[in-house]
Amino acid sequence: MKRCAKNKWILVAALLLLCPLSTHAYAGPGAGFAVLSSFWTLFIAFLYSLYAFLTWPFRHLVRVLRHRKAYGKAQVTRAVILGFDGMDPELADRFINQGKLPNLAKLGHKGTFRKLRTTFPPISPVAWSTFMTGVNPGKHNIYDFLARDTNTYLPFLSSAEIRGPKRTLKLGRYSLPLGKPRIKGMRHGTPFWHWLGKAGIFCSVIRVPVTFPPEKFDGVLLSGMCVPDLKGSQGTFCFCTTRKDDAKFREGGVRVLIEHNGGAYRSYIPGPDDPLGRPSELRINFEIRPVSAKRQAQITVDSEILNLNVGEYSPWIPVKFRAGLGFSAHGICRFYLKEISPEVEVYVTPVNIDPGKPDLPISHPVTYSVYLSKLFGPYATLGLAEDTWALNEEVLDDQAFLAQCYANHDDRERMLFDALEKTQQGLCACVFDTTDRVQHMFWRYLEEDHPAARNVPKDQRPRVIEDLYSRMDVLIGRVMNQIDDHTLLLVVSDHGFKSFARCVNVNAWLHLNGYLALKANKSESGDWFEDVDWSRTRAYTMGLNGLYLNLKGREREGTVPPEEAEILKQELRGKLDGLIDPSSGRAAITGVFHCNAIYAGPYADNAPDLIIGYGGGYRASWDSVLGKVTTQIFEDNLKAWSGDHCVDPRLVPGVLFCNRKIMEDKPAIVDVAPTILKLFGLAIPSYIDGKPWKVVVDTGTPTGMNVPA
Amino acid sequence: MICLAWECTAISDFPSVIALTVEVSLTSLSATSAVTLVALVIGLLMVVVFRYTSDQKAIRVAKDHLKAHLLAVRLFQDQLPVVLSSYRKIIAGTGRYLALAFKPLLFLILPLTLVIMELDRYLGATPLQTGQAFLLTAHAVDPDSLNNLSLQLPPQMTTTAPPVHIPVDNEVVWRVIAKREGNYDVTVVAAGQILSKRAVVSSGLARLSPVRLRGEFWKRIFVSAEPALPNASPIESITLNYPSRNIYFAWTEWNWIWLFFVLSLLAGFLFKTILGVEI
Repeated sequence: MKRCAKNKWILVAALLLLCPLSTHAYAGPGAGFAVLSSFWTLFIAFLYSLYAFLTWPFRHLVRVLRHRKAYGKAQVTRAVILGFDGMDPELADRFINQGKLPNLAKLGHKGTFRKLRTTFPPISPVAWSTFMTGVNPGKHNIYDFLARDTNTYLPFLSSAEIRGPKRTLKLGRYSLPLGKPRIKGMRHGTPFWHWLGKAGIFCSVIRVPVTFPPEKFDGVLLSGMCVPDLKGSQGTFCFCTTRKDDAKFREGGVRVLIEHNGGAYRSYIPGPDDPLGRPSELRINFEIRPVSAKRQAQITVDSEILNLNVGEYSPWIPVKFRAGLGFSAHGICRFYLKEISPEVEVYVTPVNIDPGKPDLPISHPVTYSVYLSKLFGPYATLGLAEDTWALNEEVLDDQAFLAQCYANHDDRERMLFDALEKTQQGLCACVFDTTDRVQHMFWRYLEEDHPAARNVPKDQRPRVIEDLYSRMDVLIGRVMNQIDDHTLLLVVSDHGFKSFARCVNVNAWLHLNGYLALKANKSESGDWFEDVDWSRTRAYTMGLNGLYLNLKGREREGTVPPEEAEILKQELRGKLDGLIDPSSGRAAITGVFHCNAIYAGPYADNAPDLIIGYGGGYRASWDSVLGKVTTQIFEDNLKAWSGDHCVDPRLVPGVLFCNRKIMEDKPAIVDVAPTILKLFGLAIPSYIDGKPWKVVVDTGTPTGMNVPA
Repeated sequence: MICLAWECTAISDFPSVIALTVEVSLTSLSATSAVTLVALVIGLLMVVVFRYTSDQKAIRVAKDHLKAHLLAVRLFQDQLPVVLSSYRKIIAGTGRYLALAFKPLLFLILPLTLVIMELDRYLGATPLQTGQAFLLTAHAVDPDSLNNLSLQLPPQMTTTAPPVHIPVDNEVVWRVIAKREGNYDVTVVAAGQILSKRAVVSSGLARLSPVRLRGEFWKRIFVSAEPALPNASPIESITLNYPSRNIYFAWTEWNWIWLFFVLSLLAGFLFKTILGVEI
């Protein structure tokens, strides 16, 4: 009976809808919204079409005139470059031989599998900058994640500088920003996709490191590593807990107390600094209501209500930090419910820039990040999106970290396949970071006796890295199925990987050997050289591989006269090269490289004076990286971050797979840019350091055969 | 059938119920204020109903996809296959979006239609004015009945010309004038049957029925606010030509339905933003 009544109502409604009387004018707002929105969409599409149709002849003419060489001499019409940050050739070879990577094996068998020489030092921002520009760091100015201010001895981000707007208006206690933040890219050199774009070859570039701020060119680009979070940092997670603990995280996160109030718990997410100049940071409050019986909690943030199980992530949640006077910052973050009893603990990812409403440009054109966000939903935009610090600090466990990594990875895959669909001709380059992050954090399970995994029985160690390589292999298989025989497929990594079992504090060594002095009565320094006596210091290290002289005329309190610099460098090289770890008898440093020998270019003066190449199993200590002088030179690395590549570059080449034969015995990452330019038939700018490879294309003739050496 | 008959009666009664509710408030307002107020209320109600009868997540996704495909046309404008594919997706996406909006539309269309029909009785036409001539038309079943029709007017009304017979249309038309404001019944006598029609003479808002009809349920629902004429009556309809109403708003004259449409849309967009509803 109920159903009969319901059907009759539907019948009456349908009759009213279809009745060709004056009811059509009575549609009112209900139908009006839908019809108007649809009409609007189609109208916009129509306008676009009209614009495209009317301007097509002119655009085509301009293209023909400006880009008449496009594809004219090209050996390929499409190139796909998959960047797997940190994929290691030895591991790849091992897994291929074990039959676990059939697609990579196929690439290697039919085409090419080589080790790819990396940069000095073998650090991602350095290597990827060289990859895209085809020049050595002396010409692109990136030597590490961090560079040092010679005036303050403090570090700054080497790739980009973000400052407030040029002008502000002082209104009482407010300081109103007049304009947008100023962002300056510090990487120099021209990425090869600019040359391609100029020649009329379309490029889709996704998440290649050191592409923030995005530069204009004829194509689309989504910035990768070095994009900051909403706080302007390289990733600051928030750990909200009822557990009272004053200990601060070493880096990468803040601890926020959860307050219990009746049946609910309240906490907040710290946001960016107040844009109105007040001394406080912006915050977003949220409420947690645990349901202990179900091991669930309801989290309310802004208008969003999330029901999470313990050990579960929320989707990306948009958050808006309101500063007042109409100023706000848009971000996205994910919540992870860690525990609800006896304590309540919630982890919040760093607040990423909202790709749908980017407050800073993270793509070119700006609408590209919006397009991806509308198509696939919100996605991680932070350069180092996988929160390695949270796992290092044991805020996240292995599973939670992996879930975060692979969620980001899945988003990246969707972007890649969309770019492949949209780039039927031209270049499609996409870099995946998962390979790097997962190897950093899970290398400990790959080794027999890694200090960070000694408490995990061998039979309980997960095969995370093996699974990682298998996943990448499946991805490559899917890409191979998407491309035709005329498409060039390159799989490259910027460096390989080695164990990081022992930490070396070179600052401590410098101190103990009289090159670095502390203030009176101090045996250790604080972070960033607090208590270092610069007037008696001759050398120091900062960052991962760089060693600097305290040079007179360059550093504020320089002590080493320029004429003595060379002697000091040789002295330090002589003492550090082959430095033995007394506990194992192994060489902790296998090479110390002189900057003059490895860098040349207009920015070579900004380079570290020496690059330290650590031996396998060793890396700069956590303290040393932060400019801290300790009493111990060597110590075990007990952190989850257990694999690394910031070592002697000769030990960690990357991989080069290609679906064509490459007639080159010792390819290097610096060669990728000129090779791509050559394959598309473009002239290689004379300043480029790399040499194009000889690639056998369809005709069976290596493309570079006639290229002068 | 019994069920359906009951429901139809309910529908026909529904406007009267609404009329009782809104009559007091509407008649005390000017036409512009009344349309604005009703548009605001309806806009709010529609947004709330839309919120709870639609799949908000699916609508959000559908709209986002539409925006993405629009952006794709711009981003990849020199790549014809991509542009064409995006157009195809825009059309498909629009269809998907309209389909998602159809369900709440089903919930909204019936009450909204009834409300607007009732509002039309207040706002669609102006009442008769004193001293203003109007036409009263009786439409007979056949031409033979025309000679047997006569008009009886209340004392406050008078004819200003002899009736005009139009045999080809089966109609008799009287030209009448009212001397004083009020609600009157004018009576047409046909073959011994007395058939009345309500005439409203007023300078404010009033509930008007321009026609009284015989049978024809659906037609009555939409245009008449009076009970049906008897089925055996030789008269099919009695029509009174109330002047149509134009509302002066924003430096121009509007038909009330268009003004309502625009204002209710604006109100809807306002409330959807405030309430965070995806439409």
